[in-house]
This record gives sequence, structure tokens and C-alpha cells, in this order.
Amino acid sequence: MSFSTFVTDKAGLQKLFEAIISKHETYAPVEKFGKYDYKKVSSLKECDPDSPIAMTMSVKPLFFPRSSKIMKYESNSAGTSVSETEDDHLAVPRVILGVKHCDARGLQVLEAVNKWDYIDSDFLKRRADTVIFSSRCDKADTHCFCTSLDYDVENLDAMDVALVNGSGGKIYVQARSEKGENFLKESLDQQSAVGSQQPAMDDIKKQYEAFAASFRLKMDYKDVNEKMSKRFNSPAFEEASRNCVSCNTCAFICPTCHCFKISDVKIKDTGVRYKSYDSCNNVYFTLEAGGHNPRPAKYRRWRQRSMHKFVFYKERFGVNLCVGCGHCAISCPVNISIFDVVNHVASSPLES
Amino acid sequence: MEALLVPSLAKVDRIIQETPDVRTYRLKFKDEVLMEKFTWEPGQFVEFSLLGSGECTFCISSSATRKGYFDCSIKKAGVVTADIHLNIEEGDEVGIRGPYGNWFPVEEIKGRNLLFVGGGIGLAPLRSLIQYCIDNRADYKDFTILYGARTSADLCYKEEIEEWKKNPNLKVVLTIDKPEETWKENVGVVPKILEEVVKPEIVNTKVITCGPPIMIKYTLQSLDRLGFAPKDVITTLEMKMQCGLGKCGRCNIGSTYICKDGPVFTYEQLKALPDEF
Repeated sequence: MSFSTFVTDKAGLQKLFEAIISKHETYAPVEKFGKYDYKKVSSLKECDPDSPIAMTMSVKPLFFPRSSKIMKYESNSAGTSVSETEDDHLAVPRVILGVKHCDARGLQVLEAVNKWDYIDSDFLKRRADTVIFSSRCDKADTHCFCTSLDYDVENLDAMDVALVNGSGGKIYVQARSEKGENFLKESLDQQSAVGSQQPAMDDIKKQYEAFAASFRLKMDYKDVNEKMSKRFNSPAFEEASRNCVSCNTCAFICPTCHCFKISDVKIKDTGVRYKSYDSCNNVYFTLEAGGHNPRPAKYRRWRQRSMHKFVFYKERFGVNLCVGCGHCAISCPVNISIFDVVNHVASSPLES
Repeated sequence: MEALLVPSLAKVDRIIQETPDVRTYRLKFKDEVLMEKFTWEPGQFVEFSLLGSGECTFCISSSATRKGYFDCSIKKAGVVTADIHLNIEEGDEVGIRGPYGNWFPVEEIKGRNLLFVGGGIGLAPLRSLIQYCIDNRADYKDFTILYGARTSADLCYKEEIEEWKKNPNLKVVLTIDKPEETWKENVGVVPKILEEVVKPEIVNTKVITCGPPIMIKYTLQSLDRLGFAPKDVITTLEMKMQCGLGKCGRCNIGSTYICKDGPVFTYEQLKALPDEF
């Protein structure tokens, strides 16, 4: 299926956003203390769909919440009862504006683990009910390396509607999925500020090349995949992880980390069971009740984290579990970057 | 997903004190229709919750050929298992999800001699298969059970073992680590007894083993010395698990999900995994 591209300018785009916000449940980056997080908005003034990438949280919690209730339970003399919790407020038709390309790709990557064997229908339904509008990324930030990880102008399928800056102040509004196409056509009917449909691939490609040239960080991930798969026992993991304070921030803000734990909170005879984020960097993550821990040392946990992202997930699901957003490096209190870790390991000497 | 994580309620029908720190909980789903439909293969596990305390992974230690109930044998080891021992009484209700994971290759081992090598609480998953094989005795050839524990008090399923001993179709060899006054059977660690007393037939034999890591380590070496091929040695892995659904990431070893691709592996498969268990 080929999708439509419309041309507009900044004012036209704002009108389009305003129309969307007035008609649909809309989420967009909202600033607080200099950081942006995706929040429900009721006017364009509250938010900034062009929020700077380095300052914006991942959109992941809107699909995989930091903590969600699995069930409630109650015990009394009559016995025990278990009940599912209230309706899922995230699975209503909604639009999210200003989603970074890397972040949208994160959702695409996460789909693999959520739909193999047992299906996480909550995650898939939230994604199916959401129309994602991309941000207009046109310049790489310090820690960005998405172009090294399969993101390119031909591969924008992770968003439903891609926004691309063109030459001379033009902005292309391009549907990238059937859902996006239908949504655009519906929205544009009552909205004249967005111009007619135009073929624009040449212009988009030119802009993309300039964007790709702005990257400080570049890697050949296929080379990294191959080299890392041979370096499970490399001492480089120890060197690369030495400064880590095991705070787990990298995993919590990562668009693709998806490990979770199940825990109970009990008050007298009633309680709630939660599913919440966890991380393989957590020393208790694999600790068994009998005291045995397969990953007792920090470097082993870092090896799991980086090998999972660049070797294991790829082996299992055919795609890297990293989208090159650089958020782990931005948020890390001791400046560890997954980019540096995997490159350090990949370039370490091969044991004989 | 959250719906997949909601357990069904089961009633604790009976509690059997196996050893000072192991109890078997005989469970029946509250919902009779569910209990009737509930089936599993030997080696599969369930997620067992003591509501308010937490959820833990236990293998089902009985066989589905014995209908109307299922057993979980639980050793007091961590926070939740201590709570289970302390708080659960007969008649109480617990949460159960499952069955999950793969199982012992009951088809593939048909027509073979079976050698079970268990240590301590490691007999629990083997017991499910032993009961299954006893109930389908015609499908299998010679049948040997070697079971050891630190002391005679630490042997699980004592009553059932007495029944096994009376069964002319089974050979049962018991051992404890150190001599005891009233103990008349073997004394010595499991691998030693395996090599010196059991002296198993190798041809056409499948070995199924489970026990504490240190026993497994030396048992595998003994089996190697005796000449068993790694593909004929089957074991079940103990890893920290939580969801049982191949999602939460806890039991990953390399690209393998122990909760989905395991917990049952041959020694040959284990050798191919990164050393993370």
C-alpha cells in the first residue's frame, strides 16, 4: 500500500495539531523543570511536540506502564476472592504527538517479545488504538545513534504519521501506516491549512542525508553483533562496567527494556498485586531463594544487559534490542553509554 | 498481559511434612470444572502464590495420571517459602497459574531403560515422571531410582519410597551422606553410589537427574565416566522465574527462555548454553 504525503508549513501544522487535540484524546511532551514527559493535553499551549530529544522521556510508559495493577484480592472468613482491576485507561483511542523516531522504533522492537507465544494483548491493544505522530528530528544530539540501528528514511514504519522538514520551511506530513493514512484523511477533511498531496520523496531524502550527516556517533551494528557474540568471556565487560552504581536508571528510561517483576502489597486482609519495571542490572534480579545467584558480579549483569541488546534478542527475534536513542547515556549518573560499552567489547582482543 | 498474570484459586487439601524443611501441599482448584480440565506433563511447573506474600515457581511433583489433585513440594528457603510454611494451613486458599514450561520427553524415552538420579528436594520433579512411568509401566523397560540426601531425615516422600521398594518392577537405591545408627542402606554421596553400587547399564538407557547444583556437577562427571552420551542425560534447571510466560526476562540464559524453552534440557543442550546458571 502506498501512503499519502501532504505539504504544509509551521502554521499549518499547528492548526492540524490544534484540530487533533480538540477532537481526540491526545498525549504530547509537556515540560516540567526542564524535562519533558508525555502527558494528556487539552491545548497546544500546554505542550511542545518539538521537544528536544535529550530532554524528553520515553513514550514507553504509555504502552508498558511503570507499574500496573494485575489484580486485587480479599481474604475473610468466607474465603478468598480475586478480582481483576478496573478498565485499562491506556487502551482508548488516542493520538500521541511529538514521538521521537527512536522511541517509536522502540515500540516496534518491543512488539516481538510481546507477541511471541503468550500474547501481551494489553500492549498490542494500546499500540493498535494509538496513532503516533513523529517529531521532526533533523539534527542529532550528542548521544544519538539511531541511524546506526536500522532507522532510515525508507524505514519509517514505526510511526503512523511521519513529519519531515523539507526545504524552504516546508513540512511534509506523511502517512506511514494504514491507520495513519485513514486518520490523516479524516482529520484533513475539515482542516484546510494543510496543502494538497504531493510526491516529495526526493526532498525528504535530501533532508535525511543532511540529518544523517549530523551524527557524531556511528557504528556498524552487524559487525558489533558478530564480534560481541564471540566475546562472551571478554574481560572488557568488567572494564566497561566498573563505574556503574547499579541504579537501574538506564533500564527504566530505555525505550526497549521490558523486564518486570511481580510484587504484592497487602493491607490487612486485602491487597493488590503489581507488575512493575525491573532491571537485569539489579543484583537481586536473578538471586534464587536458596542463595545461588548466576550473576553475582556487576560485570556479569552488564554482560547480560549489553549482550541481550546486541546478541540474544537479535538471535531470538531478528532485531537489536537497542534503537540508539542515547537516553541511557544522558541519564546515567556516571556517564556509561551503551554505545561505548558495546564498542569497547566488540573491539577488545579475541581470546585464543 | 495482566489477565494472564491473574491466578486461579486452589484449596490446600492436605499438607504432608516430608522433612524438617520440606512440605508437600496437595492442591485442588476451587472451581471443579477447572480441576477436571487441568492437566500437565511431568516436569512442568506452576506459579504458586500466597496472596499478600508473593508468587514463586514450583514444579508439580505429582503426575496428571493421578487425577483430582496436584502436589507442590516446597522447601523452606527464601522469604515467600518461609511465609508459606509458617502461614498456610489445610483448607487455606492459594493462587495458581500454569502449567508452564516444557516437560520430560515422555514419548522419546519410551522403550528405554530409565535411571532416575535424585538428591534432596530434587526428587520433586522426578517424582512426577516416576509416577507417570509407573502408571504407564508397559511403555518403559528397566527402572532404577537412585535417591540420596544429607541425612535420613532429609529424604522426601518416605512413605511413597516404601511403596516403590515393594514394587517388583522398580529398583530403588537409597543413600545418605554420613553413617547413622539405624540406617541400613548405602552411605556415600550420590555420584559415588552411582558408580560403585548402581553400575548402570548404558546401552538404551536414559538418565533423568535433578538435585542441588553440587550434586548435579559431580553426577554429570560420573555419568561421563560411565560412558553416557550427553544427549541421553536429561535434567531440569532451577532459575529464578517470575512470569512463566517468556516476558519478564528474569530466566534468560543467552537467547533461551528457561520458562518457555525449558526447564527440561538434555546435558547436550546445557553444554551449548552460556555459563549463566
